[in-house]
Amino acid sequence: MSAATSVSASNRTLAATLSFIWELMAGHRLLYSLAITTLFLSTVFGFVVPLIGSAAIDYALSGNDPDPASLTGLIVAMLGGPELLARNLWIAAAAMVGFTLVGGAFSYLKGRATAQASDGIARRLKDRLYRHLQLLPVRYHDRTNTGDLVQRCTSDVETVRQFLAVQVVELGNSAILLLAVIPIMLSLDVRMTFASLVLIPVLVVFGFVFFRRIRSVFKDVDETEGELTAVIQENLTGIRVVRAFARQDHEKAKFASPNARYRDHSLKMIRQMAWYWSLSDLVAMLQFGLVLIGGIWLISRGELTVGTLFAFIMYLNMLLWPVRQMGRVLTDLGKTNVALGRIGEVLAAEPEPPPARPAPPPPEPIAGRIRFDHLSFHHDGDIPAVRDFTLAIPAGETLAILGPSGAGKSTLIHLLLRFYDYSEGSITIDDVEINRLDRRWVRDCVSVVMQEPFLYSKTLRDNIRLGAAAAQEDAVAEAARAACIHDTILEFGEGYDTLVGERGITLSGGQRQRIALARALLKPAPILVLDDALSAVDPETESLILEALRRRRGRSTTIVIAHRLTTLAHADRIAVLDQGRLVQLGTHEELVTQPGLYRRIWEIQHRVESDLADELRSANPAPTVTPS
Amino acid sequence: MNTFGQEDDFRGKLDLRLWAEVFKHALRHRRFLWPLAGAAVLIAAIDASFALVTKYAIDGVLENPEGFSLVGVAALYSLLVLGMSAGVWLFIEMAGSISNHVSHDIRRACFHRLQEMEFAFFDVRPVGWLITRLTSDCDRLARIIAWGFLDLLWGSCLLVMISVILLVLDFRLGLLILAVVPPLVVLSIYFQRKILLSAREVRRLNSKITATYNEGISGVRTTKTLVREDADLAEFQGQSGAMFAASVLNARQSALYYPLVMTLGSVAAGIALWYGGVSVLAGAMTLGTLVAFLNYAGQFFNPINQMARILTEMQGAQAAGERVLSLLRAEPAIFDRPEVTERVRRAAAAGLPPGAAPDGREADIDTIEFNSVRFAYTGGPAVLHDFNLTVTRGQTIALVGPSGSGKTTVVGLLARFYEPTQGRVLVNGTDYRERPLEWYQSNLGVVLQTPHLFRGTVRDNIRYGRHGASDAEVEEAARLVNADGFIAQLENGYDTDIGEGGNRLSTGQRQLLSFARAILADPRILIMDEATSSIDTETEALIQAGLRRVLAGRISFVIAHRLSTIRSADRILVMNAGRIEESGRHEELLRQRGHYYSLYTRQFRRESEDAALDATTPL
Repeated sequence: MSAATSVSASNRTLAATLSFIWELMAGHRLLYSLAITTLFLSTVFGFVVPLIGSAAIDYALSGNDPDPASLTGLIVAMLGGPELLARNLWIAAAAMVGFTLVGGAFSYLKGRATAQASDGIARRLKDRLYRHLQLLPVRYHDRTNTGDLVQRCTSDVETVRQFLAVQVVELGNSAILLLAVIPIMLSLDVRMTFASLVLIPVLVVFGFVFFRRIRSVFKDVDETEGELTAVIQENLTGIRVVRAFARQDHEKAKFASPNARYRDHSLKMIRQMAWYWSLSDLVAMLQFGLVLIGGIWLISRGELTVGTLFAFIMYLNMLLWPVRQMGRVLTDLGKTNVALGRIGEVLAAEPEPPPARPAPPPPEPIAGRIRFDHLSFHHDGDIPAVRDFTLAIPAGETLAILGPSGAGKSTLIHLLLRFYDYSEGSITIDDVEINRLDRRWVRDCVSVVMQEPFLYSKTLRDNIRLGAAAAQEDAVAEAARAACIHDTILEFGEGYDTLVGERGITLSGGQRQRIALARALLKPAPILVLDDALSAVDPETESLILEALRRRRGRSTTIVIAHRLTTLAHADRIAVLDQGRLVQLGTHEELVTQPGLYRRIWEIQHRVESDLADELRSANPAPTVTPS
Repeated sequence: MNTFGQEDDFRGKLDLRLWAEVFKHALRHRRFLWPLAGAAVLIAAIDASFALVTKYAIDGVLENPEGFSLVGVAALYSLLVLGMSAGVWLFIEMAGSISNHVSHDIRRACFHRLQEMEFAFFDVRPVGWLITRLTSDCDRLARIIAWGFLDLLWGSCLLVMISVILLVLDFRLGLLILAVVPPLVVLSIYFQRKILLSAREVRRLNSKITATYNEGISGVRTTKTLVREDADLAEFQGQSGAMFAASVLNARQSALYYPLVMTLGSVAAGIALWYGGVSVLAGAMTLGTLVAFLNYAGQFFNPINQMARILTEMQGAQAAGERVLSLLRAEPAIFDRPEVTERVRRAAAAGLPPGAAPDGREADIDTIEFNSVRFAYTGGPAVLHDFNLTVTRGQTIALVGPSGSGKTTVVGLLARFYEPTQGRVLVNGTDYRERPLEWYQSNLGVVLQTPHLFRGTVRDNIRYGRHGASDAEVEEAARLVNADGFIAQLENGYDTDIGEGGNRLSTGQRQLLSFARAILADPRILIMDEATSSIDTETEALIQAGLRRVLAGRISFVIAHRLSTIRSADRILVMNAGRIEESGRHEELLRQRGHYYSLYTRQFRRESEDAALDATTPL
């Protein structure tokens, strides 16, 4: 998937990319203008410093007559003229320090403004992505890969930030330098200007071509590194197997080749780098040599002053470094383009739409009456998951749903939660069609524990309180007690303050389900849904929890999905689902008398009891024993 | 819990002994080290001479405008340029080679060491933590040692050379200019440290943000059901705001540092211009010398900056270095005692009779005895108390009981992945610590609860049990455990690629393969931790049938979850809180109506219910 998207992303037009960047810069454009202005000013002041040295050498020390039209002449005039300067050289020295300081102040402002602008943009982009991802429909998340999305939100945003912080400024810097320095150089000496710039295009093109060509080498290094990591990871996660079969030597041999390959590819890259930097250094220094030798030749013919040569050397020093980076910056533009494309794709996905024909929510308090009416639903192109499902659940009832896996039990719940939009039939809460209500309002009405509950890396208390932020300590403890997790929590080192997740403790499946149940019980909602929520809880604890739920009976409309009869026993009514259809509905007593799926399961259950009794009898022939 | 944090620490002093130890790895590559040192000195010398060449050229042309020969200057300059290019090539090539070779070597040494470490070592170290040590930490240490060596040598040579040149050209002005070096050093160290610290903070916040994205995306359904969108966004904004503040702080520190050192440089240049200008006017100094001083005044910054950076980086990487070196220094806690090694050596010298183990004793294993065994994990409370058990060949022991009751500890001790804290485990009456470890473990067949398979083909994975087994033997092992049926149905049979961790197979199929793998070695002792996750009925039946064949004639320990396995065991141990609570055959235990009775009836109901619903599922 990511390969396909990066192809489509790289086909974005330059105009689309630029307008996206322009849009991202909204609100920070003023800061950027400030950054560019201060960059320009700091560059200007930076230019003057060598000119001061040059002016002092030429006019105050060598006694040449200043040309009032030239920049150095202007500077000498500003500093009080050659005679005064020759008598008071400290003025030149102080001016050098002063101009450096002022230039430095501008440079600091530039750094600060650039960081505030680029990091500000990145921050807003991250917030926007986070918000957007939470508003995207569940269907979108079903289809996408978490790792890929995270990468788009983090490393792709970072690529864009780098572009805004470094590359935009580098390009601006190089452009301003070239634009400012060429006229000054020309005003000083035309032939020397030519000698100073002749090799610069060579440097830029060389860098550009080199970094384009070396991309495949970079990729090889990345890939071999990935391979090496995979081998290490596989070995370490399977280290118990390795030890169990005493296969250390085999593993060492398996590790040797990717380790060596990673080294060799890195070495290949280093070799390329060695050639690039030594050659580009050579060209850069030839450029210097040209200026130096040309300058000396001109001086020896009396056509150039030492001060001017000094100024040219200084300018070249300033110019050469950013220009050498240009090739690299230009190749990196492609990367930014791809990253922007990948981010744009996420932002272009449609969030969950608001109701097409909004209806006012039912009056408070919500009773929790639920009605499914001729409801049908199927995921894209699939066989229907729910077919013509009709069922009314009165407020306060406990309804159990039983059925084999794939019968459509969870889909019903997902529809009730408005994770997906149904097109045929209806679902109402207190007689209001839920797809005409705000999704959040509907979800607020339902407290749910899902099959594989998700816990956040927060404390246990915060995890339980997620649905009821203002809950008091004793309410949290009460919910935890009902979910049979209170005592377990107290056994953890820090009780309710224990952190969950990577930085904290790892909970077992049953413990996670019980925390999620406590969370659901604490959330004040008229409807409670347990979607196979106790599957990993051991039987004793499960019966304790069911007992607690029985005591809460009537406080909310409750839907319990399970595939164990014991879990369902306390329900008011039981609905049996098969292949998306409601096949049976009634109380336990009614259903065991009807022929059908429920009775079949019940009979097998029943036979189990007698099988067990048989076995116990055979194990213990004593006639007094009767199985319970 | 947080002993395995990854934060860098700048509090400590520079630990030279640690870096000397890392440097030892670089010394193994002397053929790169000497050229690198040469390149560092060469480049420093050339860096220092450019301004001198300019000086002589200017002085020469001013003294004698007509007679001055450009050829000499041009030749000298070209020589320097070529030397410089060669030096640059050499130092990148050499430092890169050292860095990559050292990283490769340290990584290999760590990897080899890890292969020998006992289970307890891995119990307390997360895999992700170890991977970071072996990948980025190794790279980082090697990079610092190679490039740091270069930068420190080049920087100090350059500083010394420039100082000498300045002092020789004009002693008093030289001293004046060198006066800016100490504040430059102080400033550089101060700022480099601050910049590095705030950069680490940025990275820390960044990984936090990544984790929050991960959580936000994986938990999006939960967020929606709890209508937590706004609250989550507010929390996220707190993090992205903190990251913004940290990034801007980092950028501001850099933005402040460079103007400050530039100003210091301009102070030096100002002094040179003023003092030197006065001297030139007085005829005590040539113009060329003045230009040279102006040039040198700006040249201090780079080497000092580089050296400050590398020293700060070394300080920051010390924690990583310490962690990697601690892996290299780790000593396995379970290994052959010297007496055992000695016995093996003597037995080999005397020539081994057939049917003997490498230590000359009997190779067959007929009995295993746990004698008053007590065990505690490092630093923890005892998890097994006074455990006694004797098992003879052909017997199958089923271990049952709640999680944390000590079942896994018993089989870990049996496999000698751990050794008893007190008491002994006897093999044919001899403490297994007096027998060779490798011999003992090669007699084990182990099937873990979550069968770990490796990337590769079905055949490779089965052959993992015994290196060098023939294809026929591999297939025979698969047949023995009933795995041949499903293997035949795979697209390429035994040569089918099973994907990473075997993820292209079902749990049941993976378990069958790990059976075949264990049985290929024809182990005397078979250890099996039964999977708890449900396996479809058909595969389950295959596993059970295979299991019976596999257990015959061996000493077997099964951590059992399934009734059929439990029922067929010769002896059932009901474990609780590190002790044997009940023990005996199935019927005996049922009659006692104790723990086993309630465990068994509960499991019976559960399995039957699952089976009942399973039977209604359309296939």
